[in-house]
Amino acid sequence: MDKLGINVGNLLVQIFNFLIVLVVLRAWVYKPLLGMLEKRQKTVEKGLDDARVAAEARANAEKDAAEIMSEAQAKVAQTIREATEKAEAVTRELRATADAELSKEREAAMAEIEMERERTLAELRGQVAALSIAAAQRLIGENLDEKRQHALLDEFFSGVKDGKIVVLEGSAVNGDKAEVTSALPLTQDEQATVRNQLLSSLEENAEVVFKVNPSILGGLVVRVGDQIVDGSVAGQLQNLRQSLR
Amino acid sequence: MEKSRKWRWGVNRWWVLAFIILTVIATNRFAPVQQVIAVAPENLTKSPIITLPLVGGLYLTNTEVAMILMDLIILVIALVVKSRVKEYTLIAKGFTGALEMLIEVLYNLAQSTAGKWAKKIFPLFATILIVVLFANLLKLIPGFESIGFVEEVEHAGYTAVSLGGNWFNVTTPEVAEGGAVVVPFLRGLSTDLNFTLALALISVIMTQVIGVQAQGFGYFSKFFNVRTLFSRPIFGVMDLFTSLLEAISEFAKIISFTFRLFGNMFAGMVLMAIISVMVPVFAPSAIMLFELFIGLIQAFVFGMLTLVFMAMATQGHAEA
Amino acid sequence: MTGDIVQAAKFIGAGLAMIGAMGGGIGVGMSVQGAMEGMARNPDTYGNLLTNMILGIAFSEAIAIYCLVVSFLLLLVV
Repeated sequence: MDKLGINVGNLLVQIFNFLIVLVVLRAWVYKPLLGMLEKRQKTVEKGLDDARVAAEARANAEKDAAEIMSEAQAKVAQTIREATEKAEAVTRELRATADAELSKEREAAMAEIEMERERTLAELRGQVAALSIAAAQRLIGENLDEKRQHALLDEFFSGVKDGKIVVLEGSAVNGDKAEVTSALPLTQDEQATVRNQLLSSLEENAEVVFKVNPSILGGLVVRVGDQIVDGSVAGQLQNLRQSLR
Repeated sequence: MEKSRKWRWGVNRWWVLAFIILTVIATNRFAPVQQVIAVAPENLTKSPIITLPLVGGLYLTNTEVAMILMDLIILVIALVVKSRVKEYTLIAKGFTGALEMLIEVLYNLAQSTAGKWAKKIFPLFATILIVVLFANLLKLIPGFESIGFVEEVEHAGYTAVSLGGNWFNVTTPEVAEGGAVVVPFLRGLSTDLNFTLALALISVIMTQVIGVQAQGFGYFSKFFNVRTLFSRPIFGVMDLFTSLLEAISEFAKIISFTFRLFGNMFAGMVLMAIISVMVPVFAPSAIMLFELFIGLIQAFVFGMLTLVFMAMATQGHAEA
Repeated sequence: MTGDIVQAAKFIGAGLAMIGAMGGGIGVGMSVQGAMEGMARNPDTYGNLLTNMILGIAFSEAIAIYCLVVSFLLLLVV
């Protein structure tokens, strides 16, 4: 033991020294430091807790904000859509009204023009008849019975003689729609006569349309379906020219 | 990658080179001599300081001087911590911060090992660790084991060359008789068996104390187990023997603690003494670094073992 | 003469005592081997394994150190 250097005195010195160091460190180092560490840990935990709460609050706020935003956006979009639709509807309505008025006006104008034209032609017919009669008188040198003359002219123009359509004599027509073209507008009586005539030979409820075309010069052109009965002066002149050649 | 491969002329290598050259010159001028390797610490006083009644004469040894130095350093650190800890800060910084971190790491270690007994065990564990750490690291300070009284001895020694005044340099040539040897003022505290034995005794005895505190006097049934001796005769006898082995192992622990630390540190000292004579240039530096590492590890091991044994004492003997 | 024989016996004994360091060396090697395998399999446990490996090395090295102490005692004390 002595050679190892162990002796009770030095051993005791070391033990007491260690105990002194233990006491010193415990009082001055461990206690305050551990207390401080605990305090710090608590502070850190509290800080973390606060941070967590704050983060949650922020997340909630962000969610709310996003919701509000999307709602507002949806509302705005809806409003815009509604406004657009309304505007479109109004525009469409306006346009439709305008179109309708326009077309009405146009129709009215067209009808007026037609009427005017027919009236003019009707007047013309009288004058043409008078002129023709006068010319014929001068030509023939004799006075025809004025009534007879008028009947002749009427026949010439309308192709209707003694209540019968001249052109239709001897030819049979079939169909549900007839188109009658005259050089000058027909009178009401003549129209009625033509219609009656046509209806008697055509089917029931057949439609009869009257047209005016001065280029045929006189007589009537009746067109039923794909059949054309040409009783016009122009057509007869054409025939004459064909046969003379 | 490329950068690390580039050769750069740092300034540190020049310092190292300069010191190596200085060492070469110095060792040529003053040849190093092998110091006296003794297990026992040397007495610095010729006569005992005090004579205690039962113990006998008490000499001042050179390890005790180192002990006082260590105490002073620990005291200063403790005072600094004490004065600084008042100003509470959330963020640890500076010297106290480093110490705080050390304490925190140690406390977490204690808590993970000992659980609710950590508060009780921690001061002992940490103090042992810190004391051993400082004792081991102080040994590395230059001047330890090399500056001291020149003592005339009868057996082989070296010649003392006067440096002027009362200062001598003990150096070659070696003389067969009536030479001079150095009795150093300071010697590594861990190379003193008194120190390691004291720590081992404290560690083992405090383990028993904590065991009793945790389990009451039933703790001692671990060492003398007669509970099953009569209920199950054959296994009871075996239990008695194993419990006796436990008791023996406690004494083995004392010896193991003592000689583990002492052996590591003393081996380091011997290694240093021999290397610094044989290869005085550069090699001692590497040994010094290795000693630093060993010192840290041994301190940690001593502390950890204390902690583990104490934690085991609190948990009690696992009943079959 | 007898003193010389005792001295020789001391040296021989010290040398023989150091044979025990072999066990310590084997122990250190094995613990490092185990730690390295563990690190290779699971590099995440590096820090943990390193600490425990150093502890284990210190324990097995202690055995070798006991031999060294015995050797020193034979050389210096006895």
